[in-house]
Parts: sequence; structure tokens; C-alpha cells
Amino acid sequence: MDNSQKRILMAKTGLDGHWRGPTIVARALRDAGFEVIMIGMASTDDIVRAAVDEDVDLVGLNIGGHINVALRAVNSVQEARPGLPLFAGGTVPPHAMKQLQALGVEVFPPGSQLAAIVESAERLTHRSS
Amino acid sequence: MGTKPVLSSSEIELKAYYTAEDIPEPHRSRVNLPPGEAPYHRGFHSSGYRTKPWRIFQLSGFGKPEDENERIKFLLKNGETGFIMEHDRNTADHCYNVDHPDVVSRREDVGLTGAVMQSVRDIDICLDGLPMDTSFAHAGGAVVQHAPFALAGYWTVAKRRGFDLRKLAGTGQSDFNLTYLGCVTKQQIPTDAGLRFNADIIEFCTENLPRWVPVSVAGYNGADSGLTPDQELGSLFANTVEYLDEIKRRNKIPLEVAAKGCGGVSFRSSIHIFEEAAKMRAARLMWSDLLRERYDITEPKTANLRIHCVTAGSKMTYQQPLNNIVRGTVMALTAVLGGVQSLGVSGYDEALSIPSEHAHQMSVRIQQILQEETNICAVTDPLGGSYYIETLTAQLVEKAWQFFEDIMQEGGYLACLDSGWLHAKAAENQHKEFMAMESGEQNIVGVTFAEDDESPYEVDGFMGTDDAFDVATARLNELRRTRHETGAKAALKNLESVCRSESNIMPAMLAALDAEVTLGEIGDVYREVFGDWNTPIQT
Repeated sequence: MDNSQKRILMAKTGLDGHWRGPTIVARALRDAGFEVIMIGMASTDDIVRAAVDEDVDLVGLNIGGHINVALRAVNSVQEARPGLPLFAGGTVPPHAMKQLQALGVEVFPPGSQLAAIVESAERLTHRSS
Repeated sequence: MGTKPVLSSSEIELKAYYTAEDIPEPHRSRVNLPPGEAPYHRGFHSSGYRTKPWRIFQLSGFGKPEDENERIKFLLKNGETGFIMEHDRNTADHCYNVDHPDVVSRREDVGLTGAVMQSVRDIDICLDGLPMDTSFAHAGGAVVQHAPFALAGYWTVAKRRGFDLRKLAGTGQSDFNLTYLGCVTKQQIPTDAGLRFNADIIEFCTENLPRWVPVSVAGYNGADSGLTPDQELGSLFANTVEYLDEIKRRNKIPLEVAAKGCGGVSFRSSIHIFEEAAKMRAARLMWSDLLRERYDITEPKTANLRIHCVTAGSKMTYQQPLNNIVRGTVMALTAVLGGVQSLGVSGYDEALSIPSEHAHQMSVRIQQILQEETNICAVTDPLGGSYYIETLTAQLVEKAWQFFEDIMQEGGYLACLDSGWLHAKAAENQHKEFMAMESGEQNIVGVTFAEDDESPYEVDGFMGTDDAFDVATARLNELRRTRHETGAKAALKNLESVCRSESNIMPAMLAALDAEVTLGEIGDVYREVFGDWNTPIQT
């Protein structure tokens, strides 16, 4: 699949400094041809601004902290750019995973296969075009 | 059978079995040395755990200082033999108060990774009723720019309680691997300022707190970021050399004493049992050789490398989390077979959250079962003399020195952090490790293998308390209202001028803590004086 025209924003909602997950995922997405815009540790405002300014096709959130912080980011992105898909990963415990899924966010907890993440990115970015 | 070589994590080719002839010289001639003799790969004391079992030492903390206090008391009651104070990473790592915009925008995260401690008042609450005078304590300050504050806070509370700093036992951390490699923060003082801080702490402890480990180089944070065991060893000593060379250059304290202080380190104990146990043996040997060859130090007490070990958090799985109790046990056993002095076992809920009370208790119980029931404390260096282990020990030493040399070729450890050279190594290994899992070459039980049986294993993440941010905000406001403002401002001003000078930062830091200067105010001074590290990765 040609992913070269698709742009994915990657952001980390927390200030906790765990980079393993987002680094590996960003590389896998780039290897699959996507353009990945990594903005690192970002507040909700930063994420929304980048999602709008960079005209991305998908937003990926790395979540290391409380689910409310992530939910705020999700809600704000969905408000600013209705229909823009989001997916998320990180140490997302079961109760938080359900809350994200209820908002239509695909969630990849630790142990997820990179192939599944890439497949999700392809499905989410190509569905509307 | 296939011809594909079987490799260890350090990419040492493993034979199907070993004989005496496999052990390379000069190591072969050392095999019969007893523990307690240089180069100490077999341990520093011949009686080993018989006379001193390893310390049960668990990372702990969340919420408000009183929540953390309660958890530490719970762990001590359950048999922990030292205690660790975790400071909230949002505030501590960045030296922000809770009213900093970057913290306010993530208010629910506050307290999830440690208690919020913005002033000596908070640290005092966290330490309420804890046996500071008789315990070995980790006072926090894992991240370099936060360490002077955390240490000065702990010591200020100790002084106020009438304890003699000279008798206080514990450890700092200020780990470069954590700060500049593994858990890179949004904002941080540059590495040269960090080196200055650590050298200041080493000098200050040498003169004032002889029983305190001033800084603790953590191989763990390199390893769990992707460095292989040989790289973990090589980078750890390349890091230590930066500290000792700086102490030598300053020439204010005896190098032997500083070296003794730098000999409290931590390693990761991962899941490849024999290679990891051999790694601890290799580390002791390398430290002894390094001191002798580079600094001409042969004094046995200095050459005694004290190892704290933490089981690999990244090996703990999200799926079927109770399986992690087994992983924790195996990795704990590995560390003990390697003869470590102190151990923390990651919680079985590590991949979901910070440890619940139950997960924490299990981490202590695993260690107690090993100590009390298995008779493992009876014999020192039980793997010593194994053809395999001795060969691996020698091979790891050789590979680790090679990596050490590679770092030196790149300009030294600090240069490798600044340039991103180490980050690239770690990322490459992470990727390889992930691809091995993805391709089925490396099965992970419950994740890529035997993954269908989930129902009996439901564990949810522990979310701490929900009032940490609000209480911290109220306390910050109260502090501002009630502290002696002129004294606080004067102490802060003095700290700033010390930061701009070449004087040791610690006396001014202690005075600042005593005057109830806050973490965020200190951070603002750092940002003004030292600026921000130019990170080689996107943060």
C-alpha cells in the first residue's frame, strides 16, 4: 500500500519520559512509508495545534499517565478536526482502554504487534480518501 | 540440527556445552580464587549472604506525600529493609512547581509516578515517622537536575530531627543514563552542568556524609532503554570515569574516597539468567581492574563494587500479568546468583501502572522466599567454577571493555549522550528485540505464545489517589503565604550566585531548602543560569 502521502502526528501526553514505545512505533510507521511528525511531549493544546497546522491524516498518542489527560486530548482533537482518526498506545490499563475505545480510539497496549499497528494506521488513513 | 548460531543478548555465540578449555586466559587462572580476593568477580566478602543478605529495596511512591509515607510504612512492615522515596516525575524531573503550565495541563498525571514534593515541608510529611537514623534510604533525585534538591531536602529534615549527617546512610542517584538516555525529559540542564552537580554532590558527601552513596550510576536505565549487557557494563564504567576524572581534575578530595562513593551502582537483572548473573561478576572484576589501571587504586575497600539490581521492567507483560510474578522471581534469582547487595523486583502490574499494594507486597515476598526458604544464602558465588559462567564472565568483560573503548573513541560518555550516539545504539537494539518478537524468533508467553487464556488473569492498573494536584496546589499557596519571604528570597539569590560561580552547590542548596525555597524557584534559576540541554532526540 502506498502510504507516502499520509501524515501521522505522534505525541506523548505525559511528562514521564518513557520513550521505548513511541520510538519503536514511529520507526515502524516510517518503515511502512508514512510521514511521521513526532512532536514528543505535548499538551492538549500542542496536539490540537499540530493536528490542524500539519494537516495530518491520523493522530497517535503515547499515553503513560492518567487517562483523563489523554481523554482531554482526544476530545479536543475530535472537536477541532471532526472525523480525524486517532489511535493510542502505552501503559493503558483495561479500564482506560475501554474509555478510549468508547470514543472510537484504537488502542494498542504493551505487547501489541507492530504489524497490527501499521495495519491500523493504513486502515485509518486510507478509509476516507 | 540447524546451523544458525545461538547468541546471547550481548551477541556472544553460545556453545551447546562448555569445558574447562573454553575459559579464556587470563580468566582461567583466576577461577580458583576465593571470593574476597581481587579482582573480586566472586564477590567482596567470602561469607557473602551468610553475614549480610541483600537489601530488599523497592521503588515506591505516589500521590500526596502522606500517601507515599503510608506505602513506605506498608513496605517496611512487610519486610523491606531500606526505603526509596519517589518524587512525582512531572514536577521533580523538570524542577517545576505544580502551577507550571506544563504541569497544570496534565493535572491528573500529577502524583501518578511519585509524591509531589515542592518544598522541605512536603519532604517532611513524606518522612513522617520513618526510621531515617537506622535505615538505608534512597532520597529520590533520580534525575540529575533534581538530585541536589531531593538530597538537600532529605538531609534538612534529618538535621531538623536531630540526626547527625555523618551517621546517615543512604544513596542519591542523579543518573545520567536515566536523565540523558533512557527517560529524556522535556527540559533539563546540559550534561556539563550535570557533571558539575554530580561532582559537587560527591565532594559534599565525602566531606559531610561518609556513609552516603553520593551518586549511583544506573546501568539499569541504559539496559531497559535497549543497551545489551556488555554495553550496559561498558557505558556504566565510561560514565563513572567521567565523574572520577572530574574529581581528579578538581583535586579537592582524595580520589580513593570519591571512588569508594562511586562504587555504589545499579544494574538491570533481565531474563537471560546466566548471562545476567555473569554480568554482575564481570562488573566487579571490571571495577577492580579499572581502579587499578586508570587510577592506581588498589585499596580493597574502594574496589568493593556494591550492586543494586532492579528486575527488568520492560520484560513484564501487559497480557496475563500474574505471569510476571514468575518473571520477577526468575530475574530476582538471577541477580542473587550474581551476588548483588540490594534488589528491587518490578511489580507484576508493571506494564499497566505503578505497583498496587498487592503487587508491591509480592515483590517483597519473592525476595523473602528466596532468602528464607531456598538456602541460597548459604554459599557465596554458587555459579563460580561453572565452565559456562566463567567463560561468559570473561567474554562479557572483553566485550564490555570494547564498548568502553568505542565510547572513548567517540569522545567519551558525555559526548555520546550529547551526540545521540548512545541513543542510536539503544534504539537499534530495541528494534532488533522487537523484530525478534514479531517474527516469532523470540516467544513471549501470554503475548506471542500461549496467548489465548486471559480470563483468570484480569488485573487493572493502580491509579493512586485523585487529590495529589489539588493538595499540592493548596500547599504551595499556603507555603507562599506563610514562609519567611525575605529569608527565602535571600537563600534563592545566594543559590543563583553559587550556580554562576565554581563553588559547590550543596551548601547553598541546603540553605535554600531550610529557608523553604520551592522546587520550581530552583528550577527557574537553573533554566536562567544553565539553559536547556540540546536533546539529540525529539522530546
